[in-house]
Amino acid sequence: MVRLTLDRVTFWYPATKAPALRDVSLDVAAGEVVALVGTVGAGTSTLLLVAADLAPRVIGGRLEGRVHFEAPEEASGGRRIVLPTPWTQVSGMAFTVWDEVAFGPANLGWSREEIARHVDRALAKLGIAHLASREPAALSGGELQRVMIAGILAMDPGLLLLDEPTAELDPAGARILWQLVRELARGGAGVLVATSDSDAIPEFADRVIWLELGRVAAAGAPALVADEALCAAELGTTVADTWRMAGLAAPYPATVADAVRRWPAR
Amino acid sequence: MSIRLLALIPVAAAISLALSAAVEAVALPLFLDTTGTILATALAGPGVGIATGVVTSAVNSLRNPTFWPFVVVQIIVALYAWIAARAGLFRGLRTAVPAGLGLGVIASITSTPISYVVFGCSTTSGIALATAVGKALGLSPLGACFFGSFVSDFGDKAVTFALVTSVLHALPRRTAARFPWALRAIGAS
Amino acid sequence: MRRLHPFTLLAIAGALPALAWTLPAPWGGLATAVLAFALTLTPGASPRLPVFRTALVTAAPFWVFLLLLHDVASTVAIGLRITTMVASFVWLMAALAPSRLVEAMVAAGWGASVAYLFAATLSAVPLLRARARRIVDAQRCRGLSPRGGVASRLRALRALALPLVLSALHEVDERALALETRGLVPGVRRTPLAPPPDSALQRIGRWGLVTVCAAALVWRVTWSG
Repeated sequence: MVRLTLDRVTFWYPATKAPALRDVSLDVAAGEVVALVGTVGAGTSTLLLVAADLAPRVIGGRLEGRVHFEAPEEASGGRRIVLPTPWTQVSGMAFTVWDEVAFGPANLGWSREEIARHVDRALAKLGIAHLASREPAALSGGELQRVMIAGILAMDPGLLLLDEPTAELDPAGARILWQLVRELARGGAGVLVATSDSDAIPEFADRVIWLELGRVAAAGAPALVADEALCAAELGTTVADTWRMAGLAAPYPATVADAVRRWPAR
Repeated sequence: MSIRLLALIPVAAAISLALSAAVEAVALPLFLDTTGTILATALAGPGVGIATGVVTSAVNSLRNPTFWPFVVVQIIVALYAWIAARAGLFRGLRTAVPAGLGLGVIASITSTPISYVVFGCSTTSGIALATAVGKALGLSPLGACFFGSFVSDFGDKAVTFALVTSVLHALPRRTAARFPWALRAIGAS
Repeated sequence: MRRLHPFTLLAIAGALPALAWTLPAPWGGLATAVLAFALTLTPGASPRLPVFRTALVTAAPFWVFLLLLHDVASTVAIGLRITTMVASFVWLMAALAPSRLVEAMVAAGWGASVAYLFAATLSAVPLLRARARRIVDAQRCRGLSPRGGVASRLRALRALALPLVLSALHEVDERALALETRGLVPGVRRTPLAPPPDSALQRIGRWGLVTVCAAALVWRVTWSG
């Protein structure tokens, strides 16, 4: 089974004195979706890079603590990350969307039949099969973001790491993505996702981790996004925030459905 | 070669080839087409610099094939920039500009025989015009050819060195520290 | 012609200028220039006339400068060589899609890194040029004008070039991370997605061209000085 464990991890970027992560411990298992929330500079992106084995291995810097990743032998993809800006992730080696999505699988040395199967499936999952023969440079931001996500999905990752995957998507596109995340977890993948789309967290996440200044400030069930402290940090859901600003009593409801249930008893 | 240095090369080469758009806007007789080569050398050493120069020439040749023989100049520029970086000449404009002028002399000495033997000095229009002026002044054909290259290279390389120095100093420390030679080039480590 | 293997196309486009410079002038250059222009008219390099015309227009200024600098005999000798070079490259660009060249390089086992350097530069140049133009437009709104003395123009150039170069350098890290997570690590054996078909005949043809060029060089050096 796929499992990622971080044990008291502290991480410094090169040439910096203050650590970007301080004493962070977490655990993501197969079939689980864990959401990371935090304001700018909280360390969510850094945590994903550490989880992806890119920091410090590629980016440099220093790490204290222990990162352990377990994957069964047959897990073809291992752990893969989708970074926040799609434009810098385009390989530059592909002249069509199909080839761009096939870039990762081709680097894994798979057979052409296997590559084609994975690419077609990933394009269909993201709803972009109709873009297959377009040129990546000519796409909109939202289209390109879906292409980059498809490019990672086609590599069949055991642990999927997503950094603000809906930043360029419209609300409908975001909904499809969150459904896809759930579906991947049902298929046995582990997912760790940093997002500022708090409203969506209750519907797709199993657990929430709140980072502040590189530390885990709180961790728990998805209902955490309706917590007083998170709302005060402007990380709560719209419903919880509205409830709070209306001066209604805590605990706040996280979703519209919660609010409807709680309304008569307020 | 690490993946970061691999990713640096096409970015640096594209910088060399895209800066002409900025040059056109201010209407100065400059090329700046060795900026990426010098920058890559100062950030990551001579190997990365030479690779950047070769890739720049290869891609530039797709636009105009007569650029290809001048790949030799790109390689010389990378080696010179390496020596300049080791000597600490990127620490400030006072040392960078004279170093750039020196490169201008060396670059024109390198490009003159190529230009003369291969193209009869007729390559880019600016150089050819300067060569014609040299000829009108009564210089020998080879002398006129050197004069043409020199006039166009001398200022260009000084401006390029100044630009690279500005970039190295403007780069945030945190970013610079991720390239193996950047901090040493500006004397910060 | 478009059906030929990319390396065959490269060999032809490389051999013609090589021969133009080694064979005695002006007849060698005339022969290669005629051959190169014939290539620009071959079916496949479509639409045909623009390729021919582009080659002609690109080569023309060289003749003007050559006439300014040299006598007629040298102008013809050098001009024919440059014309050969220009025409065969213009033809190559029309006949060879970059994606096919990249596939051929990967299939030939060049290592994905070399193919990456070439392809990524090709696709980065238009992006950076577009960004440079946006910066120029933005600075024009703030009063940049291509007038004034050299010093003020140099300051203006710095204001244009610095943000362009810095923003490009900031992207290097993200590009590297994306490549790494997508498996492009140095030394990887990548699967070619659509390897261009090659044939024994084409391989023989390519080696034949190399042999002819080498023979021409040897002949020129040993017999006719």
